[in-house]
Amino acid sequence: MRTIVCTLVAIAALLAGYPQAAHGQVRAKAAVTCVSAGQVLEYDCTIKLANARSGEPLSGLTVSVGADMPSMPGMHNVRRVKATEQAEKGAYHVRLELEMHGDWAVHIDLRGAVRDRVVAMLRFEEAEVTDVKPSPSRRGH
Amino acid sequence: MDDYLVSVVSNIGIISFVALSAYLLLLTGEISFGQQAFFAIGAYAAGIATAMWGWPLPLAIAWGAAAGAACAVTLGIPTLRLRGLQFAIATLAFAEMVRILFELWRYQIDIDGEPVGPNGTDGFRNIRYVFDHNIEAFDFMMLIYAVLAVTLGSFMLLERSRLGVIFRMIGEDATLASLQGIAVARYKVFAAGIAGALAAVGGGLYAHLTTYVEPRTFDVMLGVHSLAYGLIGGLGTALGPLLGVVIDVGLLESVRLFAGYRMIIFGGLVALLLIVRPRGLLDERLVHGIGRLFRNAKSGTTRTGRGPP
Amino acid sequence: MIDFIQNTIDGVMIGASYGLLALGFTVIFGVMRRLNLSYGPTIMIGAYFGTVLYLHFGAGLLAVAAAVVVGAVISGIYVERLCFAPMKAGAGIASMVSSFAIWMQLEQAAVLVLPRHTYPFPPLVTGPALEIGPLLVRPDHLIMLTGALLLAAVVQLALYRTRFGLGLRAVIANPIAANLVGVDVGRLVVLAFAAASAIGGVAGFLVLAVDQQVTPMFGMWATLKGLIAMMIGGLGSIPGALLGGLLLGVVEVHSHWLFGPQVRDLFAYFVLFAFLVARPGGLLGRTIDVELSHRA
Repeated sequence: MRTIVCTLVAIAALLAGYPQAAHGQVRAKAAVTCVSAGQVLEYDCTIKLANARSGEPLSGLTVSVGADMPSMPGMHNVRRVKATEQAEKGAYHVRLELEMHGDWAVHIDLRGAVRDRVVAMLRFEEAEVTDVKPSPSRRGH
Repeated sequence: MDDYLVSVVSNIGIISFVALSAYLLLLTGEISFGQQAFFAIGAYAAGIATAMWGWPLPLAIAWGAAAGAACAVTLGIPTLRLRGLQFAIATLAFAEMVRILFELWRYQIDIDGEPVGPNGTDGFRNIRYVFDHNIEAFDFMMLIYAVLAVTLGSFMLLERSRLGVIFRMIGEDATLASLQGIAVARYKVFAAGIAGALAAVGGGLYAHLTTYVEPRTFDVMLGVHSLAYGLIGGLGTALGPLLGVVIDVGLLESVRLFAGYRMIIFGGLVALLLIVRPRGLLDERLVHGIGRLFRNAKSGTTRTGRGPP
Repeated sequence: MIDFIQNTIDGVMIGASYGLLALGFTVIFGVMRRLNLSYGPTIMIGAYFGTVLYLHFGAGLLAVAAAVVVGAVISGIYVERLCFAPMKAGAGIASMVSSFAIWMQLEQAAVLVLPRHTYPFPPLVTGPALEIGPLLVRPDHLIMLTGALLLAAVVQLALYRTRFGLGLRAVIANPIAANLVGVDVGRLVVLAFAAASAIGGVAGFLVLAVDQQVTPMFGMWATLKGLIAMMIGGLGSIPGALLGGLLLGVVEVHSHWLFGPQVRDLFAYFVLFAFLVARPGGLLGRTIDVELSHRA
C-alpha cells in the first residue's frame, strides 16, 4: 500500500516539475483536398492554410504532414512528409503514401511563425477521397 | 531523433500503459476486453481539464487517473462474482457503453471565439496544451517515458512485494487464496482500480500527444490488442507486455517490406509463437530461471570460494 | 400498437440470424470451453469466397450460398488446426489470443483479395414486402427466419438423434469421461468446428443477402453479435442461443425505432451487461466452467 502511495506521489512530483510557459498563439485552419496520384494508396493532397480568426492565408511556414487511423490508435503511423509551398498564397502540396484504405486522421504540423497542428479527417478509397462524417453505425454494415 | 521515430516511440510508450493495465488484471486471473474504456475516460477527462478548464497538464493527468480508477472500481464491484468469459464479456459491454456514451456526449464551451470540447462522434479536437506551452515532440516523448519508467519501477516493486504475491495467488486459484485468509474481493477491486488508473494515465497522455480524440479510437480492437500484448511478450514480468507492444508497433512499423501483408505475417507468427510459448516470450519459467541463474551465481561464489582472487 | 407489433416482428426476423451465429458459437464453446474470436472472420472469409464468385464469374444465388458455407468451413478448420488443436490443456487464453491474431490475418487477406470498402452481395429475392393486414413483412426476412428455424431444428436433431450428436453432447458434458468411454475427442472437435462454421456460413449468407452488401467489418460484426446473443441466452444451451438472438434482435429494433442507431447499440450492450451481472448463466444457461483462466 505504501509503495503505491509513494509511487503516486513520485508521479505527481515528476509531473508537477514539468516546465510550463503559456503564451497566446495564432490558430490555423486548413482545407485539405486529395486526389489519387495514380499509384494504389498514393495520394496528392493540396492543403490551404489560413489564420483561423482572420481567414488570412498563412504562407512561409514549414509544413509537415503525417497520418494515423483513429480506429487503430498508434498502430498505423505514416511517416511524416514535408509539404512544398505553392505559388498560391497559403497553399501547400504533399504526396501521401498510406497503408490501407479507410478513414485517416491527417495531421498537418506547422512550424515557423505559427506553431500548430490541424487535423483533418478524410476517407481514402481507391477512386476518391471524401470528408468523413463518422457514421455511428459503422459496424452494422 | 527524427520526427517519425519520436512519434513511433511515443506511441509505443502510450500503448504500453493499456497493455500494462490489462496485464495487471491478467495477474489476478481476470481477462478484460474493456481496458480501452479507462483509456478513453482518462483521455477525455485530462483533455477537458487542460483545454476547457485551463488546468496544468500534471494535474489534468492525475485527475484523469483518478476518474479512471473511480470508474474501474465502480465497474469492479458488480462484476466481482463473474469469472472467465463472463467477466471478459461484461467488461466488453461496459467499454462499448462508454464508447457510445462518448459518441452521444456534447459539452462545449467557447474559448477565444471557438467552441472547444467533446463533440459527439466528431470527437474532441483542439487539445492544444503542447502548442500553447511550446512543448516539443521530443520533450513530450521524454515525459511519457518518465511516467512509464516510474510505473514500471513500481511494477517491479510490486512483483517482489506481498501484494504482488497475493495478486498472483488470486490469479492462480482464488478459492485457495481465500482459504488462506486473503480478502479476495477487496484485492480484486483494488487491482481493477489501479489497472483503471494506469490505462487512464495512458489516455491522458495520448489525448495531449495527438491533440484530438474521438470515440472510435476506443473500440474493442484496442482492448483486445492490449490483452494480446501481455500474451505475446510474456506473463512472467511487467516487461512482457512492453515487449509485446515493441514487437507489434515498433518492429512491424519499421519493417516496411511487408506493406500489405503485414497482418498476414504477423498474425501467423503470433499464432505459431503461442503454440510454442503459450504464456509468451518472457513467461514465468524463463523469468524465474533467469532469477535463479543470478542467485546461483552469487551464492556459488560465496560457498565454494571461487571467483576473482 | 401497430408499430410495436411491426417492430417486434422485424426484431424476431433479424434476431433469427443472431440466434444462428450464437448457435455456432455455442457448439464451439461447448466442445472446447474456449472462445474462438475468429468465428466471425471465418464467416467473412466464406462471404468473400461467395462475393468473388458472384463478381467475377456471375455465379447464381445457390452457388454463392454453397461457396460461403464451404469457405467458412475451410477457414474454420484452419483456425481449429492453428489456434486450438496444438494448444495444451490450460492454454485456453493462448488459444483465444491466437484466434484474435488469426482474425487480423483473415481480415487483411480479405482486403488483399477485394480492396474496396464495400462490395455488392446478391439479393435473396427482389419484390415488394408482403402485406398482412396493416403489417409489412419483407419476403427475404421471412426466408431468413425460416432458414434459421430449420437449421436450429436440424442441429437439435443431429445432437439428439445421431451418434455424432451423442459424442458431441458427451464431450460438452465432460471431455475426460467422453474420452474414457471411447469418444475420439480430437476428431469430434474438428467436426464440431466444421459444423459450427457451416452454421455460421448459412447465417452469414442470409444476413448478407438481406443487406445486399459485404465489408471486411462483417467479421467483427458477426463475432460481436454471436457472442452477445450467446451470453444473453446462456452458455452451452442451444435453445438459449436462439432465444438470446431473438431477444437481442427485438431489443435492437425497438430501441432503434425509439431512439436511433447509437442508443440501439447502447441498449444492446446494457441488456448484455445487466444479464451478466444479474444472471451470469443467461436465460437458459447453466454455469459451465470456462477454460479461459489458465488454471481452469
